[in-house]
Amino acid sequence: MEIVYDVVIIGGGMAGLTAAIRLGQAGLRVAIVSRGDPIVCLSTGCIDVLASGENPLEGVEKLPENHPYHLVDREFIKEALNHFLSVVKEEGLPYDGTWEKNRKVLTPLGVGKTTCLVPETMVASTADGEARLHVISFAGLKDFYPGYILARMPASDLSVLEMGRVSTMSLASRFETEEFLDFFLSWLKSTDIKADLIALPAVLGWQKAPAIKDRLEDELRRPVFEIPTLPPSVPGIRLHRALVRKALRLGTQFYRGRPISTVEKAAQLVEAVTLESPGRPIRVNGRAFILATGSFVGGGLISHRSGVEEVVFHLPVSYPVDRMNWFGEKFLPPEHPIEEAGILVDGEFRPKNTDLENLFVAGSILAHSRVLRYGCGHGLAIVTGEAAASSCLRYLKWQAEGDTCSKTA
Amino acid sequence: MFQNCIRCTVCVENCPVFAVNPLFPGPKQAGPDAQRFRLDGEAVVDDWVKYCCQCRRCQTACPYGVPCADIILRAQMKHEEVKSFSRQMFARVHTLGRISSSLAPLVNFLMRRERVKSLMRKLGVSTSIPFPSYRFRTLERSWKNVGLLTGRKEKKVALFHGCFMNFNQPEIGRKIRNLLSILGYEVTIPPQTCCGLPALGNYDEERARKYAQKNLDCLIPYVDAGYDILYTCTSCGLTITHDYQKILQVSGGKKVAENTYYLYDYLLNTLSKEAITSLLGEVDLKVTYHIPCHLKALGIGYPFREILASIPGLDLSIQDEYCCGLAGSYGFKRENEETARLIGEKAARRIEETQANVIVSDCGACRMQLSHLTGCEAVDPADILEKSLLARGMKLKLSYFFLGSHRVGISV
Repeated sequence: MEIVYDVVIIGGGMAGLTAAIRLGQAGLRVAIVSRGDPIVCLSTGCIDVLASGENPLEGVEKLPENHPYHLVDREFIKEALNHFLSVVKEEGLPYDGTWEKNRKVLTPLGVGKTTCLVPETMVASTADGEARLHVISFAGLKDFYPGYILARMPASDLSVLEMGRVSTMSLASRFETEEFLDFFLSWLKSTDIKADLIALPAVLGWQKAPAIKDRLEDELRRPVFEIPTLPPSVPGIRLHRALVRKALRLGTQFYRGRPISTVEKAAQLVEAVTLESPGRPIRVNGRAFILATGSFVGGGLISHRSGVEEVVFHLPVSYPVDRMNWFGEKFLPPEHPIEEAGILVDGEFRPKNTDLENLFVAGSILAHSRVLRYGCGHGLAIVTGEAAASSCLRYLKWQAEGDTCSKTA
Repeated sequence: MFQNCIRCTVCVENCPVFAVNPLFPGPKQAGPDAQRFRLDGEAVVDDWVKYCCQCRRCQTACPYGVPCADIILRAQMKHEEVKSFSRQMFARVHTLGRISSSLAPLVNFLMRRERVKSLMRKLGVSTSIPFPSYRFRTLERSWKNVGLLTGRKEKKVALFHGCFMNFNQPEIGRKIRNLLSILGYEVTIPPQTCCGLPALGNYDEERARKYAQKNLDCLIPYVDAGYDILYTCTSCGLTITHDYQKILQVSGGKKVAENTYYLYDYLLNTLSKEAITSLLGEVDLKVTYHIPCHLKALGIGYPFREILASIPGLDLSIQDEYCCGLAGSYGFKRENEETARLIGEKAARRIEETQANVIVSDCGACRMQLSHLTGCEAVDPADILEKSLLARGMKLKLSYFFLGSHRVGISV
C-alpha cells in the first residue's frame, strides 16, 4: 500500500518547481525527486525570457521553427510568466518587468546582462557606461571585484567597508539583523555620496531583502540596487528557496539527494522510479511523470563517445551526430551545435519516438532549446514547466473520465 | 568521489556554518578541495575541519554525488587535535546516560546549579541552553521483556529508540509503543546501544565502530526472525543506514539498512493512509513543522507531514530551509556555542514569524534548541499524534489508558 502520487517530477529546478506549483494549486499530490540542488541556485536570479532583441515576446516569433517556445502560443507565455510573478510576490520576493521589454542589469564585470524579469532589488540597475554609481564593496569579500565596474564606468565612486573575512552568504545573514543594518546605514551616511545611484553586491539579506532595499533607499534618498555576484549567488538562492517554500506549502513532497537507479514500466505507462540508497530502495510511484532534469550542466544529458544519453528513462535524444562540427576556434561558444541536443516532444510535451503515455518533458532538456544561444533559460523553464503541467492535468482528467466510463459500462 | 566535484558551490550555499562563521571555509574547500591534498594515514592539519557540524546539507544538495560531509567527517576523525574533555564526554553520551539516569534526581539537581554550570563551562561544555534532564524510569526500564524475539504476529517491529528517547524522553517511546499497538503491530525493543553518531561527531572512530558492531550483532537476529527495524530519531536512522556502510564499513551494515525504516515512512508504506487518518481527531493548534537536516538527508521525503496535514483543525506550516544549529552535541561544546546560536536564531525567527503555538520536529536536538530560542513548546510527532488520537473521544482514551503491555492490540 505504497503512496501513489498523482505526478512525480524528476528534477527540482525552475521547470520542475514551476510544474509542481501549478499542479499543487490544482489540488494534485505531487512529489519532486532530485539528485541535488538545481542550477537556479547559482544563477543571478533574473528571468531571461529571450535575450535577442528588444521585445522578448516578439522575438519568440523569429526563433527557428523547431524551438520549443513554438509549442505554446503567445498568450500561454504571458500567462505562465504572470503566474510566476504572482507566485514569487506571494512568497515575499517580488519581481519587476514585462515580457514585452528586455533590460540590462549590471554584472560584476561591469557589463550589462540582457534579461527580462528582475528581482525588485535590481530594478534600478544600469549598465550605462556614462552612469555615475556609488559602488559599495566589502574588504575581505572574495567574490566581488569592483575594479571591473569602475574601469567600465569611470564616473563612478567607490566606498569599501572593512569587514574582515566575509562571504556573500555571511553578509546576507548579517544584513538580516537590525544591529548590522543600523551600523551599515550609519557608516554609509558618514561617507560622502555624490552619485545618484548606489550599487552593491547582492548581499542584502535573504527573505528580508526587498524591505532592506526599501529602507536603504528611504534613508539615503537614492535608488539602491544589487549586483549579482559569483556563486554563492544570494539572488539565485532566494529565488530557489521562494519556489521551494511555495511548493512545500502546497503539499509537494521532496525526495532529495538521491539519483534514480531504476524505472518501472508497464505497457505504455511509467509506474515508479526507484532511488539509490545505501539501505532499502526508495520507490516513488506516480500516475504521471514529468522529466525536468535539465541538459548537460543540470545532469539530464550525458555525452558519451557513442552518443548522447538521457540518464533517467533513456529516451531517444536528438543531437548533432556529426562530431566534426563540434570543434571550433572558441571554447564552447553560444552557437555550439551541442546546444541542439535534447528530447523531441509532441504538442502535449510527450517524448516523440516512444510509446510512453504518461511522461511529459519540460525545461532545457527539450531539443533545440539552445538556452545559451538565445538567453532563454529560466523563461523557457517556466513556460514549458507550466505547459507540461497543463498536459499532465489534461492527461489525468482524461484518464479519470476513462475510468468512470469503464466503471459505468 | 571528490573527483566528481565541479566546484559549483551548491554545497557552500547550503552550509549553515559557512553562512555565520567566517572561520569555516565551507564544505567545498573543507571537503573535495582539501581532500586532494590529504594522504591516507596522515593526520589532518586543517584546523577548520572541526567547525563543520555534520548537518549533511551539503551532501544532500550536491548535484554531482560528491559526499562532501562524509569526506569532512573522515578528515575530522583524522584531525590531529588532542581530544578535549568535552569531546571525550560527548563521545560517551550513552555511558553518560546510563549513569545519569540511574542517579537522575541527583544529576538533574546538580546540572541546574550555577557552580556546576561554571565548572562545565571551564571544561568546554556550553551551558547556554539547558541540559536535557534525565529520567530514572528510562524506556528500557519501563518496558517489559526487552529483547523479546518471539513475536507471533505477522506485523512485528523492533524499535531502535536511541539514547535521547531512552534516557531523556521515555514517555515519547511509550506513546509510540501504544500507537503501534493500536495500529496492530507487535512492538519489541531489541538489545541495543548508542547508534555511534556522537562518537563519530567527536572524532572517536574506534568507539563508533564498537557501537556499530554491537548494534548490528543485536539487530541481525531480529531481521532474520522477520522483524522490521524502526527508528524514530532521524540522526540514529541516518547513522545506521548510511554511516555504518559508508564511513565505518562494518559488516552486516547493508543487511540491517535494507530492513530499517523511519517510523512514519513505515506506517505510510505498510498501512493505507485511511487506516491512519480515520483515527485522527481534531487538534486546534497552529503548528510549525521543523524538518531536521538528517531527515532531509535520508532522502525519503517528509513522511510525517502527510499525517500532520490530515489532522483536522491543525494549522500547519512547514520549514525546511534552516538548520537548528545545535547538531547533536556540536552546539553543546563551548567552541561552537556562538555558531550554533547564530544558526539557530535564523530558524527561530522564521518560526516566530509563523506565530505557531507549537513546534513539531522529529529530532530531539532540534526541539531543545528551537524551544529554547523561541520560548515556544517543541514536541515530538508522537505527541501531536497522541493529542489527535485522544481527541477522537472517550472510547479510545479508555482503551489507550489501560493499554499496559505492548502485546495488547486495540481495535478502534
